[in-house]
Amino acid sequence: MAQKKDVWQGTLALMVLKTLDTLGPLHGYGIARRIEQTSGDLLAVNYGTLYPALLKLEQEGYISSEWGVSDNNRKAKYYKLTRGGKKQLEREAHEWEQTTAIVARFLAPGEEVS
Amino acid sequence: MRRLRAFALRVAGLFAKSQRDREFDAELDGHLQMHIEDNLRSGMNAEEARRQALLKLGGVEPTKEIYRERRGLPLLETVLQDLRYAVRTLRKNPGFTLIAVLTLALGIGANTAIFSMVNALLLHPYNFPELDRLVRVWENRGIDEGADARFIAPQDAADLQSGAPVFDALSTYKCGDFNLSAEGNVQPVLGCRVSANFFEVLGVSPALGRAFSASEELTGADQVAVVSHGFWQRRFAADAGLLGKTILMNGKKYTVVGIMPRGFDYPVPMELWVPLGLNPAEKTDRAKLSLESLGRLKPGVSVAQARSAADSVSQRLQKEYPATNANRRTEVLQLRRELYLYTLPLFLLLQAAAVFVLLLASANLANLLFARIFGRQKEIAVRTALGAGRWRLARLFVTETLLLSCIAGGVAVAVSFWSVKVLRTSIAPSWTMWVPGWDGIQVDRTVLGFTVLLVAAVGFLFGLGTVLYAGQALPYATLKEAGRGPMLGKKGRLRSALVVAQVMFALLLLVCAGLTTQAFLRLVDVYQGFQAANVLRTEIRLPEKAYPENSQVASFYDRVLHGSASLPGVSAAALVTNSPASNVDNETTFFSINGRPAVKSSEAPSADLQVSSPDYFPVLRIPLVTGRVYSYADNASTARVAVISRSMAARYWPHGDEVGQQIKLGPADSKEPWMTIVGVVEDVRQNWWNPTSRPTIYEPFFQAPQRSMVFLMRVASNPAGYASGIREVVRGIDDQIALTGVGTLAREITDSIAIIRIMGVLMALFGCVALALSSVGVYGVLAEGVARRIPEIGVRLALGAEPHDVMKLVLGQAVKLTGIGLAIGVPIAFAVNRAMSSLIFGIVSINLLLLAGFTLLLLLVALAAGYIPARRAMRVDPIVALRYE
Repeated sequence: MAQKKDVWQGTLALMVLKTLDTLGPLHGYGIARRIEQTSGDLLAVNYGTLYPALLKLEQEGYISSEWGVSDNNRKAKYYKLTRGGKKQLEREAHEWEQTTAIVARFLAPGEEVS
Repeated sequence: MRRLRAFALRVAGLFAKSQRDREFDAELDGHLQMHIEDNLRSGMNAEEARRQALLKLGGVEPTKEIYRERRGLPLLETVLQDLRYAVRTLRKNPGFTLIAVLTLALGIGANTAIFSMVNALLLHPYNFPELDRLVRVWENRGIDEGADARFIAPQDAADLQSGAPVFDALSTYKCGDFNLSAEGNVQPVLGCRVSANFFEVLGVSPALGRAFSASEELTGADQVAVVSHGFWQRRFAADAGLLGKTILMNGKKYTVVGIMPRGFDYPVPMELWVPLGLNPAEKTDRAKLSLESLGRLKPGVSVAQARSAADSVSQRLQKEYPATNANRRTEVLQLRRELYLYTLPLFLLLQAAAVFVLLLASANLANLLFARIFGRQKEIAVRTALGAGRWRLARLFVTETLLLSCIAGGVAVAVSFWSVKVLRTSIAPSWTMWVPGWDGIQVDRTVLGFTVLLVAAVGFLFGLGTVLYAGQALPYATLKEAGRGPMLGKKGRLRSALVVAQVMFALLLLVCAGLTTQAFLRLVDVYQGFQAANVLRTEIRLPEKAYPENSQVASFYDRVLHGSASLPGVSAAALVTNSPASNVDNETTFFSINGRPAVKSSEAPSADLQVSSPDYFPVLRIPLVTGRVYSYADNASTARVAVISRSMAARYWPHGDEVGQQIKLGPADSKEPWMTIVGVVEDVRQNWWNPTSRPTIYEPFFQAPQRSMVFLMRVASNPAGYASGIREVVRGIDDQIALTGVGTLAREITDSIAIIRIMGVLMALFGCVALALSSVGVYGVLAEGVARRIPEIGVRLALGAEPHDVMKLVLGQAVKLTGIGLAIGVPIAFAVNRAMSSLIFGIVSINLLLLAGFTLLLLLVALAAGYIPARRAMRVDPIVALRYE
C-alpha cells in the first residue's frame, strides 16, 4: 500500500508541476480540474489529496503561493512554479520518460510471447 | 537540502497553528465555492451541487486532517503533547517533583564530583607519556617500616640498573632548597639535583634548550641548570635570552641550558633542576641511602616482574656486601600508586559511598513513582478503557520520568560543577600545590557524558517499569474497585522490599559515615603530646659553603635563638629537625644499648631520631615523664646526653630503669659516641598516617648541630604577627639566608589534614542524605498504604477498634519494615566495618554504641515517618470511609 501511495504521490507531484508549467499560476481547484480532465479518473474521487501534495511541493520550494482573486471574483490561493520547480519538472519528466521506456521495453517481448 | 528545508518548515508548522488553520479553511472554502458554482452551471440544484463538491473533495474534515499531518510532524506533536502533560502533572505535584529531582540530582551530582576528583588525582596525577611505566624504586633497610623515606644508595641504584634488565632507564635525584642570589637579595628556590637521564625517564624534553649530558653528572662539570616554565616567567619575565646566562645559587654560578615546558612539575612543583654532581666517592657509596629514584620500565614489563628482578639483585648485593646491604630489600611501586598510598582507601571509600547514595536515591525514586502509580491507577484505567494502547501509555509515562530525570540531570550537572569548585577552593593553594593532579580536578567530560546517559537510562527504565507495573491491572477491575484492591500481594511486597533495601543501605552508609567521621575526628586530635596553639614555625637552611663547620652552624642558630627570645611576647624559641604535622616522616636510625649488644646487625633496634635545642619541649609543651630534659649546659664540650620518648622507654626498659643508661646511634662497634639517657618525655605523634607514636631519640642540637632546622617559637598571642620579627632577626645575623614556610603551627596542622577533613565532612553529609532518603522512603510506603486501606480502617473503626489500635497497626508496619532492613543490615555492617578497618588507618573495630545508636536512630526516623500516616488513619471517619464501598 505504502509503495503504491508513494508512486501515486510522485506522479501527482509531477502532474501538478506540469500543469503549473503549462497553464501558469492557478488555484487548487483549477489544478484539480485540469488533472481530472487530462488523467481521466485518477483524481475522480478525491480532490482533497491534492492539498497535502501542494503543501509538500511548497515546503520543498518547487512552487510558491499567494492569495489572489479568481475569474469569478472569489478569493483564492494561487500556486506558481518557482525556478527550482521548473528544473525539478525537467528532471522528473526526464526520469519518468526513462522509466517508462525501460518498463515498456521490458514488457514488450512478453506481449509477443503471449 | 530540499528535505531539510521541508523539515524545517514542518517544524515551523508546529507553531502558529490557528492562523494556518484559518488560512487553509479559507482556501478550502474557496475551492468548494468554485466547485459548487461550476456544478450549478452544469445544471444541478443547489443542494446537489454542494453534495457533489464535498463528495469530490473527500470531505472537509478528512482533508484538513491529512493536510495538518503534512504540515507538522505528527510524532513530534504527540511528544510535545505528552511533554505538556508531563509538565502539568509534575507541577501539580510539587512535593513529589522536588523530592524526586533533589534525590536524583544529589545521587548523580555526588557521583560525578567524586569520580571527577578520583579520576584526576588517581588516574592522571601527572601528564607524562605512558605514566604507568614509571615506577619509584627505593631500598628498605628493614627498619623503615611505616616510614615514607624512600631512598636508595647511589651504587645500589647503579647495580640495579645494570643487573635488572627491566628498566629502560633508572634515574636518581635529590631535592631541596637552593638559595638564589639575585640583585642583592637571597630567595629560597625549590630545586632538584638529578641524574642526566632524569628527563628522559619522565619522557619530557625541555621546551627550549637541552637537558643534561652524562658528563655533567660529575662534580666540576655540574654548574648547569634547567629551569621550570614558571620560574622563567616569574623571575626572568620570560626573557628569551635566558639560555646561556648564569644564575648565582648557594654561591655558585650555574649556566641555564634548558627551560621546561609549562606544567612540568616533578617530583613537586620545582623551580629548577641541576645535575647530581656527585664526586667519585659519593657515586660509589653504598652505605647511605641518599638518593631518590624513579625508573621507566621497558614496554610490556609488569611491576611484579620488575619487583622480582630487583629482588634478585638485592639478594646478590646482600651476600656480596653484608656490611652495608644486610637486610636491604628493593621496593618497586608504580609512581601513580605511590602518590596516594595513604589516601587511596579514603578515595575508594568516598566513591563507594557516592555510589551508595545513588542507589539509595534510585530506590527512593522507584518507590515514589510506584506510590504515585497507585494514585493514578484510576486515571490509567480510564485511559485504557477509552482505548489508549499500552505503547501510548508507555510513551506518556516515559516522557514524564524522562522529563523528571532531565531536570534532575540539569540540577546534577550544576551540583557537580559547584561541588568540584568547592572541593578545589576549600583547601589552601599553598597546600594543594603539593598534590599532583589537583589542578587537573574538573568536572570530567567523560563522566559528565556518562551522567547524562545514566540520567536518560534511569528515566527511561523507571518510565517503562511504571508502565509494566501499572499495565497489569485490568481496567474494569480497577474501575470497579475504585483503585484500592488489586495492589496488595505481589506488588506491595516489591515496594516493601525496596524500603527494606533502603533501610539497609541507609544503615550501612550511616555506619561507614560514622566510622570514618570518628576516625577523622581522631585524626584531627591525632597530634597529641604537644600543644600547637601560639607557636610560629619556619624552616631555615644554611648553605654548606658558607657554613662548613659545625661550630659555625651552632653559633648561627645560637644567635637566632637568642635574638628571637628577646622579641617582646616570646616565651621560648627552639629548633627541631622535623616538626610534627610536617607530612614528612622522621629520620630512622639503628641504635645500640650499652651492655646489650645485638647478636646480629639485623637485630639492632631502631628508632626515630630528632635533634632539638633544649627549649623544644617547653615550646611545644611536651610533658616530661621522668628525669630531666637537656639544657643549654649540654653542649659540644660536655658529655653526650639524650632524651627518649615514653614508648621507647617502655619497649626497651620495661622496668623503668632507663635514666642513666647509655645508647649510641648505629652498631655498638661504630665510632659514634655513647649518649647517656637523662630523661623521658611524652610520645608525640608525628604525622596523621603513623598508626602509633614511634620510639624516638632526642639528641641535643648543640651536641650534634645540623644545617637544616625547623625553628619554633612560642608567643603570648597572635603568632602570625611575629613573622616579620623573626625575618628581621635572621637578616640581622646573615642577610644571605632565606626563610621558608613561615606560618603558625596550628595552621600547619589544619592544612596537613585538610583533605581528610573534607572527606570526613563529605562522608557525614552522605550519611545525613542516606537518613533523609530512607525516611522519605518509609514515609512514602506507609502513607500510600494508609490511603489504600482507608475503607478497611473504616470497617475496623466501625466495628469498635480504638483509634490507638489503628495507630499501632500503621506504626507496626513501619517497625516491621525497618526491623527487617536493620536485621539484614547489621551483620553486613559488621563485615563492612572489618573490611574498612583493614583498609583505612584510624578505623578500629566496630563501635557497638555507634551501631546501636544508628539502629535506634533509623527506627525513630521510621516511627516519625510513620506517624503522619498513622494519624491520618486514626482520624478516618468510618461513615465517610464506608461510603466508598
